Amino acid sequence: MNLRPTLNDFRLIGWGIGRVVLSVGLIMAVPLATALICGEWNVCTDFLIGISACLIFWLGTEITCRVTLDLRVSHGLVVVSAGWLFAMVFGAIPHYLSGHFSSFLDACFDVMSGFTTTGLFLLQDLDHVSNGLNMWRHVLTYAGGQGIIVVALTFLFVRTSGALSIYLGEGKEEKLLPNVVNTARAIWMISLTYLVIGSVFLFVALKTCGMTPGRSFLHSIWLFMGSWSTGGFAPQSLNLLYYHSFTIELITMAIFVIGSLNFALHYSVWTGKHSEIWKNIEIRSFAVTALVVTFFVSLGFSKLGVYTTINEFFRKGFYIMISGHTTTGNATVYSSSLVNEFGVLALWAIVFAMAIGASAASTGGGFKNLRVGILIKSLWLDIRKMASPDSAVLSEKVHHLNDLWIDDPLARSAALIILCYIAIYFMGGLLGVAYGFSPSVAFFDSVSTGSNTGLSAGLVSPVMPVLLKVYYTLSMWVGRLEFISIFALIGMGASIVRGRKVGGS
Amino acid sequence: MKINVRGRRIFAVITVAAMCLLLQTPYCRGTAAAYDTNRISISELIDEMDKYDGMSVTVKGEVIGDIMIRGEYAWITVNDGPYSEKNLESGAEFSGVSNIGIGIWIPSGDVYSIKSVGGYSRKGDTVEVEGVFHRACSEHGGDTDIHANSLKVVREGYVIPHPFSYFKLLIAALLAGISGLLIYVLVKRKKKYTEE
Repeated sequence: MNLRPTLNDFRLIGWGIGRVVLSVGLIMAVPLATALICGEWNVCTDFLIGISACLIFWLGTEITCRVTLDLRVSHGLVVVSAGWLFAMVFGAIPHYLSGHFSSFLDACFDVMSGFTTTGLFLLQDLDHVSNGLNMWRHVLTYAGGQGIIVVALTFLFVRTSGALSIYLGEGKEEKLLPNVVNTARAIWMISLTYLVIGSVFLFVALKTCGMTPGRSFLHSIWLFMGSWSTGGFAPQSLNLLYYHSFTIELITMAIFVIGSLNFALHYSVWTGKHSEIWKNIEIRSFAVTALVVTFFVSLGFSKLGVYTTINEFFRKGFYIMISGHTTTGNATVYSSSLVNEFGVLALWAIVFAMAIGASAASTGGGFKNLRVGILIKSLWLDIRKMASPDSAVLSEKVHHLNDLWIDDPLARSAALIILCYIAIYFMGGLLGVAYGFSPSVAFFDSVSTGSNTGLSAGLVSPVMPVLLKVYYTLSMWVGRLEFISIFALIGMGASIVRGRKVGGS
Repeated sequence: MKINVRGRRIFAVITVAAMCLLLQTPYCRGTAAAYDTNRISISELIDEMDKYDGMSVTVKGEVIGDIMIRGEYAWITVNDGPYSEKNLESGAEFSGVSNIGIGIWIPSGDVYSIKSVGGYSRKGDTVEVEGVFHRACSEHGGDTDIHANSLKVVREGYVIPHPFSYFKLLIAALLAGISGLLIYVLVKRKKKYTEE
């Protein structure tokens, strides 16, 4: 029986959302400090307004949604899905006030793109934005990479029962430690350690490239955040092409490959289980698909003959392919080059890589290597069963931290999520085609948004139709949260409309 | 006779001047025509790389970001989209496009004429660059770039004024006041619940 949510349910969800919004306000302190140091006073007021708005919302929920109940799984999932939408709206305030967005919808698109580590943007005149706003763009994607909920869990859900449901609702299935709050803190510890190491490497490289120490410092942090979170944001409109540096491309590639790995795998390796790297199904799945896609990209390149040397292939074809496969979106070519200089075969090979995406419980998006690995193993098991006598007992397992035996429920859940992803990719592609874009461009950008990649073949722009902006924003949100918490939100909506009143006949 | 001599001199001067003008005019026209033929927008270059690959082109736009000196040569980035004329920080209208720029590989000695580089606080110098366009430069790992032969600063950049917005400050103060009030209410309520 479907029960209509009670006022207490709404209060509980409102209370949780209030804490998520407060975490957005907390992380605004970083760009505020940047703007203060750089003497960008108008930018400071933009962030003060943003922080105050978050604070008012949180206080409002604390006052009006006080309830003594504990969060259940259903509440947790709705807190996550609705919390991300609220976080987007409040996060868009400094964006909109900056004067670089022609509408609030565009600002929301960019914030969702940042939080979901997609990396596409509708911001106009990026090359003239303030350091404060650039810091906000990159902090958004860095925080989003760990998960907004992970941010909230670290500080704001301490000693809260039901924290597990909130954690799981953000598309993370593994816990690093028995306690989710400690897990959230461990995720932050891993990310911050890499932030320091990666930024130092990038700073040296940028300084060697001829940038001033101050600019090198800021760009090193921003490039790290954009790469580690597999967001793909960069401080200049030319993205990685701006730097004309093989060293920087190499460092960023290493960062986004490491960032695309499962946090549980990171923790496992950190705690001494080095062999996990070679045994893990996600690493193996990633290696195989990357190899296959590399083959097709090189085949495409050989047909066109634009990039002819191994150096060019590595810096353009391989870099973009790995950037797409890890759902990062850092680019060393123009958007139009993905169509004109790469050719159809290489372009669709990258679409395939983006669709698969990165590891589960990582900063990346897409189907995830784990699900692809499970599905392939399950398929292999079925083939073996068909070729064997009826009496034969066959089994297959995958190794992901522990051995997982392949059974029907596991294969079915992997297949279901993959089908959901294909559906959002397909609908977005059709919508693009309906608006007159070529199928290659429309499907490329649709897969890029749904898998939270951020590469664009030229469709995403500030002048694209409003419906596409809305669809892509939702597609990024749905893709990042991996459907389950979205289904919970839809289910709650249905319960409000059609559910039976509690206590009613 | 004197008049005749003076008249001849005036005639000669006028003739020479006219000839100079006649000679000069086609030359000027020729130069302008040459510039017009080769000057191209960066967006057109990017959209039709195949057509312009290896050709000598002239682009005009704002220098933005950084001057990255790498030994004898340096990289600069030149933007020529609508925001290179007037950017949003200077109060431009939305044009609906992102920045459109290209990397220029230029002898280091030539970049010292650039005094202002564009960013949040500065409008960069507007430069005219003549050089060879590469769709996939073999020297630079396949980058799309222009190897400059000459650079001319045609308009100097300037500091972009950012007058402080007291209106925004007022809004921020108002919201901070509301926050303070709500904190007071929350503390009061918590106290009440604790007492109960």
